[in-house]
Amino acid sequence: MAFYEQPIHPKPTTFLSKYMISFDHKVIGKQFLWYGIFFLFVGGLMALMIRWTLAFPGVPFPVIGKALFPETGGVIPPDTYAMLFTMHGTIMIFYAITPILIGAFGNFCIPLMIGARDMAFPLLNMLSFWLAVVSGVILLGSLFTPLGAAAGGWTSYPTLSTLVGSPGTGQTLWSLAIFILGASSTMGAINYITTIITLRAPGMGYFDMPLTIWGLWLTAILNAIFLPVLGAGVLLLIFDRVFGTTFFLAGAAATSGSGDPVLFQHVFWIFGHPEVYILILPAWGIVSDLLAFFSRKPAFGAKATALSMTTITILSTLVYGHHMFTTQMSPLLTQTFMTLTMTISIPSAIFFANWLGTLWKGSIRFTSPMLFSLGVVFVFGLGGLTGLYLGTVTTDLYLHDTYFVVGHFHYTMAASVLLGGFAAIYFWMPKMFGMMLSEFWAKVHFWITMVGLNGVFFGMMMVGYAGMHRRLYNPFVYEFMQNMIPMNKMITYSAYLMGAAQLIFVVNFVHAIFFKKEKASDNPWEVGTLEWTIPSPAPHYNFDKIPVVKCGPHELGNPNLTTGRDFQYQTENLVEA
Amino acid sequence: MTLFTLMMSSAMAETGKLGFWEKLNPPVDISTHGHLIDWLFNYTTALNLFFFSLVCAGLFGFSFLYRRKRHPKPYYTYGNKKPQIMLATVIGVAVFVGIDMNITRMSNNDYIGVFTNWPSESEDILRVEVLGQQWAWNFRYAGKDGLFNTDDDVVTLNDLRVPVGKKVVFQVLSKDVIHSLYFPNARRKVDAIPGRLTRLWYELTKTGEYDIACAEMCGTYHYRMQAKLTVYTQEDYDNWMNHAQEHAFQTNDPENAELFWGWAWQ
Repeated sequence: MAFYEQPIHPKPTTFLSKYMISFDHKVIGKQFLWYGIFFLFVGGLMALMIRWTLAFPGVPFPVIGKALFPETGGVIPPDTYAMLFTMHGTIMIFYAITPILIGAFGNFCIPLMIGARDMAFPLLNMLSFWLAVVSGVILLGSLFTPLGAAAGGWTSYPTLSTLVGSPGTGQTLWSLAIFILGASSTMGAINYITTIITLRAPGMGYFDMPLTIWGLWLTAILNAIFLPVLGAGVLLLIFDRVFGTTFFLAGAAATSGSGDPVLFQHVFWIFGHPEVYILILPAWGIVSDLLAFFSRKPAFGAKATALSMTTITILSTLVYGHHMFTTQMSPLLTQTFMTLTMTISIPSAIFFANWLGTLWKGSIRFTSPMLFSLGVVFVFGLGGLTGLYLGTVTTDLYLHDTYFVVGHFHYTMAASVLLGGFAAIYFWMPKMFGMMLSEFWAKVHFWITMVGLNGVFFGMMMVGYAGMHRRLYNPFVYEFMQNMIPMNKMITYSAYLMGAAQLIFVVNFVHAIFFKKEKASDNPWEVGTLEWTIPSPAPHYNFDKIPVVKCGPHELGNPNLTTGRDFQYQTENLVEA
Repeated sequence: MTLFTLMMSSAMAETGKLGFWEKLNPPVDISTHGHLIDWLFNYTTALNLFFFSLVCAGLFGFSFLYRRKRHPKPYYTYGNKKPQIMLATVIGVAVFVGIDMNITRMSNNDYIGVFTNWPSESEDILRVEVLGQQWAWNFRYAGKDGLFNTDDDVVTLNDLRVPVGKKVVFQVLSKDVIHSLYFPNARRKVDAIPGRLTRLWYELTKTGEYDIACAEMCGTYHYRMQAKLTVYTQEDYDNWMNHAQEHAFQTNDPENAELFWGWAWQ
C-alpha cells in the first residue's frame, strides 16, 4: 500500500540532532508529551487557584499566594482571577490536551501502528513542534506584560477582547499565540492525513487500521479544515486591536463604520464545536481499541464504530449554533441547530452499544489502561447525556453560561480526554520509553482521580442547575447563591484531591523513565497490532523490513489458534477453522 | 433510615437553615412560564437516568460477569452478525426517537409558542428598555407619554420594578461589551450586544425582591454587575410609578445629553 520507498538515514549522534531538532516521529511525540505535561501542570495549578477563590473568597491562597500576589497579601485579585480562568481554558485546550492526545500520541502511534518508518513529512513535523514552543512562550510571556494576560475568557468574545474591553498587550499576544499554534496544528494535521493515506503497510486497508488511527485521522481532518477558520478569526481580532479596523466593533464602540461582535462568535464556534470532537475523537479511538485488547476479543462492530465516528465528524461541523442560542437567533435557526445537534446521539449511541458489546462475554483484565478506558465510558456517558439539556433551546435559556455548562464540558473534554490520555500513557509507555509504569500506583492514581473528578464536575453541574453562573470572582455577592457555599467547598476539596492524585502519576512516570532498572518486554500487553511486533522501546526507523498486514487489529481470543497465544499479530494469516 | 431522617431534621432545626440538598434547588420560580423549563429539565433528567442506568448496567454488570477469573474463555465474535447490528441500530434509533426528538419537539413548541411569541402591540404590556454597561444595568420606562427617549422617561440604575401579572417586554442593548441579562428566578436570559437589539418577555406571578445578574463575562467586575428586581402588586407599582414620574419631571435635565441613551421602541 505504501506509495513510495521509505529510506533509512543514519542515526543522529549529537545531542542537538537526537533530542532537540529531531526529525524522528517518536522523539517529536515524546517532546509533545513533555510539553503537554508541563502545561497540564500550569493549567492545573490555575484551576486550583480558581477553585480556591470560589470556595474561600478573600482568603489568601495557601503556600505560594504571598509570593504571587504580594500587593494583596496573598488574596487573588479580581483582575488576576479573570486572567486565571482565561489562561486555564486556553492552556488546557490548546497547550495540554491537544499536545498530549494529538501531538504526542498522534506522532508516536500513527507510523508505528500503520507500519511506517516515519511520518510523510518529517521536517514539517519538527517545525510543527517548534512552532508550538514559540506559541507557548508567547502565551506564557503575556502573563508578564504590564496589564497582564488576556482576561476575556477562552472564547475571547469581542468587544470585550478588543481595545474597548482589554487595552493591554496580553490579549494581542494571546491572539498571536493562538494563531501560531493554529499553524502548528495544521502542519501536524496535514502530516497525519498524508501519512495515513500514503504510508499504510502493504495489505492494510482502512478497516484494518486500529481504531486509534481512525480517531486520530478524523481529528486531523477536522483540524486541517477548521483551525484555519479560527486562525482567520483571531487574525481579524488582531487587525481590530492593532490596525484600527472594525470587524467586530459596533454601536458606540465603533468610531468609523460598523462591524458585528456576533460575527466573531460565528467564526469562533464554526471552529469551536468541531474542536470538541477534535479533542475527544483520539480518546474514543484509543478506548475502542483498549476495551477490545483487554476483553481479549475482537472489537464489537469495529466497522460500525469507525463509521459512527466518521458520521459524528461530519455532523460536528453542522451544529455550532447551539452555542449561540442566547444571542437570539431566528427560531428557524434554533430549530435547525437543535435538531442537527440531536442527531449526533444516533452514532454516539451506536458506538456506546459497541463498547458495551466489546465487554460482553469477554475475559476482562483490569489492567491500568483498561481501568482508565472503562472510566472514559462512564464519564463520557455522563458528559454526553448532560449535553441534551444544553442542546434544547429552552433549557439552554436557563442553563447557558451557568456552571452546568462548565460541568458538562469538563466531563466531555477534560475528564474523558484526560482519562483517555492516561490510558494511552500507561498502555504505550513500554513502547515509548522501554519501561512499565507501576501497576499498583496506576490503579491508586485511577481511583483517586475518579473520585476527585466526579466530585468536581458533578458538583459543578449541581451548582449550575441551582443558578450559579460562570466567571464570577465572588458568587456570594448574590443572595441566592449563598446557599451554595458548602457545595462549592466540596467541589474545591475534590479538586485538590484530584490534583494530589496527579502527583502519584508524576512520581510513577519520572521514576519509570529515569530510575527504573527493569526493562519492559517487547509485548507486555499481549496484543497483535504492528507496534508490538518490534522491540521495546521502538528502534530507529521502527521497522527493519516494512511489515505486510494480513489480518485485522483485534484478533484476540480466536478459538482456532494453536500457537499457545490467545492473539495473533497483524502480520499473520488469520487462523480459520 | 428513620435515624438518619431524625438526625437531618434535628440538624436543620438547630441551624434553622436548609438541608444540604435543598440548598441546591434552583431559585424560586416567579414567572408564568418558568415551569416549562423546569419541567423539561426534569423530564430530560428522567430519560437520561434511564439510559445512563442502562450504560452503567452494561459497564458494571459485564465487568463483574466477564472478569477474567469468572469467565476465562472470551466469546470470539466481531459483532457483525445481523442480530447484533440490528440491536445496535435499535439502541441508536431508540435514543434518538425516545429522548432526542421527544425533547426537541417540546422545546421547540415552547420556544416558538411561548418564549418568542411576542405579545402584540395592542395588548396591555409594560415596555422597558435595558442598556448594559460595564458594570451596571440601566432601565428606562417610557413615562406618561408612552414614548421612549423623551424628557419624562423614568430612568433607573440597577433597579427594575415591575408589576405582577402583567406582560413585560424588554428591549436590550449594550453600550460597550457583550453582557447577558439574566433573571434566575424567571429562568431566562438574553444577551445584551452592542449594535444589535435583542428582546425578552415574561410575566411574573410572585411579589418580592429578587436578583438580576449579568451572565456573560464582561470584564473584571463582571461579578458585581448585579441589579435588583422588585415585583410589586399593580397598586404598589402604580404608586411607585407616579412617584418616580414626579421625580423624573423635577430632576430630568433636558440639557443633559447623557440622559438620552434610549431608542425608539421597535
